Amino acid sequence: MNDEFEKSLDFDDDPLNAMGVSRKSLVIFFLIDTSGSMKGTKMGELNTAMEELMPEIRRVGEADTDVKVAVLTFATHLAWMYPEPISIEEFEWSRLSPAGITNMGAAFEELAIRLSRNSFLSSPSLSFAPVIFLMTDGYPSDDYKRGLKKLNENSWYKHGLKVALGIGKEANDDMLAEFTGTSDTVVHAYSGGQLAQLIKKIAVTSSQIGSKSMTLSDDTTGEISFEDVSESKQKQLGEQIQEIVNSEDYPKDIPFDSGW
Amino acid sequence: MLELNAGQSIEMEYGGSAKVLKVLGSGGQGIVYLVDFGGINYALKWYDVNKIKNPQAFRKNIERNINDGAPSDKFLWPKYLTKPMPDNDGFGYLMDLRPEGYDSFVDILNMYKLDVDPLTGRAKKIRVQFRSLFALITAVINIVNAFRQLHRAGKSYQDLNDGGFFINVETGDVMVCDCDNIAPDGYNFGIGGKPGYMAPEIVRGVAKPDVQTDKYSLAVVLFKLLFRGDPMEGEKVIKDICLTEKSELKHYGKETVFVFDPNNNTNRPVRGIHDNVIKFWGIYPEYIRKAFTYTFTVGINEPSKRIIENQWQKLFIRLRNEIISCQCGRTTFASSFASNQDNSAYKCQKCGAEFPTLAFSNCNYRIPVYIGKKFFACETVAGSDDFQTITGEVVENKLKKGMMGIKNLSGNTWNVKMPDGKIYKIESGRGFPIWQGLSIDFGGVTAHI
Repeated sequence: MNDEFEKSLDFDDDPLNAMGVSRKSLVIFFLIDTSGSMKGTKMGELNTAMEELMPEIRRVGEADTDVKVAVLTFATHLAWMYPEPISIEEFEWSRLSPAGITNMGAAFEELAIRLSRNSFLSSPSLSFAPVIFLMTDGYPSDDYKRGLKKLNENSWYKHGLKVALGIGKEANDDMLAEFTGTSDTVVHAYSGGQLAQLIKKIAVTSSQIGSKSMTLSDDTTGEISFEDVSESKQKQLGEQIQEIVNSEDYPKDIPFDSGW
Repeated sequence: MLELNAGQSIEMEYGGSAKVLKVLGSGGQGIVYLVDFGGINYALKWYDVNKIKNPQAFRKNIERNINDGAPSDKFLWPKYLTKPMPDNDGFGYLMDLRPEGYDSFVDILNMYKLDVDPLTGRAKKIRVQFRSLFALITAVINIVNAFRQLHRAGKSYQDLNDGGFFINVETGDVMVCDCDNIAPDGYNFGIGGKPGYMAPEIVRGVAKPDVQTDKYSLAVVLFKLLFRGDPMEGEKVIKDICLTEKSELKHYGKETVFVFDPNNNTNRPVRGIHDNVIKFWGIYPEYIRKAFTYTFTVGINEPSKRIIENQWQKLFIRLRNEIISCQCGRTTFASSFASNQDNSAYKCQKCGAEFPTLAFSNCNYRIPVYIGKKFFACETVAGSDDFQTITGEVVENKLKKGMMGIKNLSGNTWNVKMPDGKIYKIESGRGFPIWQGLSIDFGGVTAHI
């Protein structure tokens, strides 16, 4: 019997012959400062925390969401760790080495280009708004306002869950709040212990919130309006991050910048 | 939150203490630990009281559930409460560990699970798929039946979603987990929820979880398990591209449209994205499609019209009875096979094999027979809804190849009309041929070709 004939007799009516369910997509963007001042403990802690983080958040999307990761590093030059977002289940961290100045504005402009259906957000199915996690230890060397303006024109950015981690005392919380849109999701690490813990807790929390449907609170008393739910995930993230920062087990050991 | 450490002892409400061994997992309300209590391993669900609105009432509810006992053996039910901590920081309860060999509903929907190499930390994908169509439909019946038992006990599950089940894909056996929010119908101890699984009226904020909203969530779970997609995600939803909080409220609350709503074609499944749903909707027989359509159209605004568990159970027992496993390897529902006018015989279009059917006196459809087909008490025992106890099986005669017959496994004696026209007593363990004039008296129920 030839193959064509065999094929014509193949009935595609097996109810078990399925594909995995169609999942929503989420891309988590890490924007990481690799300028020269990150040398030493800061970059060591960051590299180690990121390496350990990836396997820990592998199943965060569960059945609903296909989670991908994209890492943009900025110093004198910009570089993506991989040419496109990589599935979190396959992501392997390449250790970063710092050098150069802090061209954060250029990183914002690059991100604004990539936050597009024609670029990094090309999934044909539904997407959740991206999680964007910025980590820096200093003040931008370039015109970050121009980059921020570009981002503010991007609706993926506007809906995205934004969080920023300032490392050491040079990082400017006000500038970081301009990026996140709210001071609730700006946190500051002054020591290696804090840095490692914050990277992990923030990444886990933001990817959990980002990869799932909004959580409905149980204390509503009437019909919920679209206004009520607007930016509810960003608010939830803000609350949970403040909870992490204010919790007792948050280490208050020696700052990066003192005791040398 | 008060986290526990390995080696720590937790005092139990009625004496003794449980020793923490390791973390098993974490969820929205707390962390699950493996513990040793009296030489037996249990799972300890440990709560962060700050994340619970009214911890006293919540704890009291679990205590009541422990006293009432599980509605059926399909629930990983709370067993023992811990003593409240002196500083009132945390509390928990013990439950049995999930038995081996069960896969999470999440892994079943994804069709793979990750196997992590403990040495390198690298993960390997392992395929997760039902062993047979019979096991899939059995799992559906088990889920429906578990919720029927729960609702009969006057309780509701409240936050039914894909995290709540584990299924044995070989047999279709089901374990319902996360039983801590189960509450008497009408009560709510402060559980939020997930759009997509929650009934639209909860998403909109105009109702609290109860038995009626459970029925909606149950229908979503069943739809996802069978059709492998979201019943409300079609063209209308995909157009939004980015699923913001506003889109979720719109598509899963205020303007929920079933993808196969016969009176509203704005939200049809999209080829390339919802291929499973498109394909399987065509494979399932009409009575199944009708039940989902009714629940997801009329039942959206009228919760009392959602299909009730007992109705689902009957429909899926019928569906399981209408599976035909042809010897050519093709296994699907009778409705996909060629049939004669009154559906009294089926034929495989692939290999030409023919399948007679049996008409049971307690059943309004005919059941096709093929080698390997099993009969259950709900078919052969009057008034029974037992879909688990096998009472008969279609087998091939060991002495005469190709001759099909039924073996009595019921423990009772059946009266069967044989080809010589005489009635024979067929004891349990013995069999008889399937022939044109066959009639069987099971005692209270009869069947004939």
